[in-house]
Amino acid sequence: MSTTPLAVPQGDVTAEAARPDFGAAAWWAPRSGHGPKSGEAAGRTPAPMGELALRIEHRGGRSVASHQFHRGALRVLRPHYLDDSGQVCYVVVNPGGAYLGADLYVLDVEVGDGADLLLSTQSATKIYRTPESFAEQRMTVRLGEGSRLELAPDQVIAYREASYRQNTHITVRPTSSLVMAEVITPGWSPDGASFRYEELRLRNEIHVETGEGTRLLTLDNLLIRPPLDDITGTGFMEGYSHLGSLVVADARVDQALADELHQLTEKFDAYTGVSLSATMDGITALVLRSLSNSTEKLNTLLGGCSGLLRQRWYGQAPLNLRKY
Amino acid sequence: MLNTRTSYQLALRQLTDSALPTGAFAHSLGFETYIERGVVHDEGSFGVWLAAFLSQQLTYSDALAIRFLYEGRDVLELDGLLSAQLLPRQMREASVKMGSRMLEIGTEVFPSRALSDYRAVVSGGRAAGHQPLAFAVVARSLGVPQAEATAAYLFAAVTSLTQNAVRAIPLGQNAGQRVLRNAHDGVAAAVERAVRLTPDDFGAVSPGLEISQMRHEHQRARMFMS
Repeated sequence: MSTTPLAVPQGDVTAEAARPDFGAAAWWAPRSGHGPKSGEAAGRTPAPMGELALRIEHRGGRSVASHQFHRGALRVLRPHYLDDSGQVCYVVVNPGGAYLGADLYVLDVEVGDGADLLLSTQSATKIYRTPESFAEQRMTVRLGEGSRLELAPDQVIAYREASYRQNTHITVRPTSSLVMAEVITPGWSPDGASFRYEELRLRNEIHVETGEGTRLLTLDNLLIRPPLDDITGTGFMEGYSHLGSLVVADARVDQALADELHQLTEKFDAYTGVSLSATMDGITALVLRSLSNSTEKLNTLLGGCSGLLRQRWYGQAPLNLRKY
Repeated sequence: MLNTRTSYQLALRQLTDSALPTGAFAHSLGFETYIERGVVHDEGSFGVWLAAFLSQQLTYSDALAIRFLYEGRDVLELDGLLSAQLLPRQMREASVKMGSRMLEIGTEVFPSRALSDYRAVVSGGRAAGHQPLAFAVVARSLGVPQAEATAAYLFAAVTSLTQNAVRAIPLGQNAGQRVLRNAHDGVAAAVERAVRLTPDDFGAVSPGLEISQMRHEHQRARMFMS
């Protein structure tokens, strides 16, 4: 096989599909529309199953919602203030309880200058069977000058034969602060076997916006297709079942912090790596990736890291999100 | 006089020869971490790592970047995508170190307008200068067909890594040759897969490879820069 000349097939990179709601989307940005799972030939964009828009502003010493909109199967619980920092906490609820085939969920979050938002979910994101299609969550986040977002959703659980795409497009200012943590489980199937879903695609882009324009800081593209490759062993899940990620974009991120988080995570029963992005307009992203064998272990590890940042940068206690 | 096909083939051999001084001997691209953990320790276990590296990272980042460049995408934009996607610092540094050597060598031996344009944005600080792009710019300017260029690039990468493994594990020279022979199908599959992927597949990472590349930063005794 290897010695035969390789044909030059035509890629579909130039085929124009409907563009997502990401503003002036680049050709490499995720396409909207639902089609075959491989992403070829995207079809029409369905009406979203759920939509949520939230704008947070800093007013009178604390953060409040200045705009809130929801439609369909997404809404937020009433806001909470977990401490006296002024940080407002919103919890996203999916009353339907799960994502199904071809479901599209659209979230649009803006944190205004100096505002501070903690955004979480009420329960795990569960994706059921999605025959012939995939469920998708598309989230656009915009952070103003000196604003802060802590994104702490519950874990993603994909059931047998589920396909899910989660596209998160974040724009920060050099003075913004972003912390996002995420856990992906091996999924669930009736026979108890792991990794029986079709495809999980979690793609986060962080862009830095200045007066000069917008530049791409990080592209974090996680693609797990259990039917295509053996993902359990060396070079992929390394024999572990659960995957956790922590991304911090902040002007205070530096190598000393990366080293400190590396040391901190060595105490946990997990296989963890930490590294830094390039620095762009004074802001740097720290990316922490961790493999372990339970959601709880990863939540403890990620919570330990975000807790260190909360304490050091804001004098806040570690996050303790009881589900309201 | 050489006809076009012969001349690009010799050029391609020179560009992908393991003696091309890009410094590839100094990079394990993460497998040294597996050696330290005892996961990679012989011919078979190195072959497992190499197959994963080839079907994941080399396919979704390098091969896809080469394809996009051949399809006429802006090299500056692709350069930014690679810098943003290579999250482990040492991987970015390795790609840029070897890329800068490729840009220099290319300028010496296969100069072209496209190559000097790319080199100019790199020296101007507007681009980092990544290895697969520097290679693709040269190969494209020489008229090397995309699939052939991709296959040659991937096999060169696999060859350097295997030679490094022969020294580091260590493996016998014949074992190294068997690993390379076994990688043929993987290279062909990677070339085929890369043409079927979509733009939003670009830079898809495997968590295990990535964590190992990140952990290499903290490894005490090491032979390699990445």
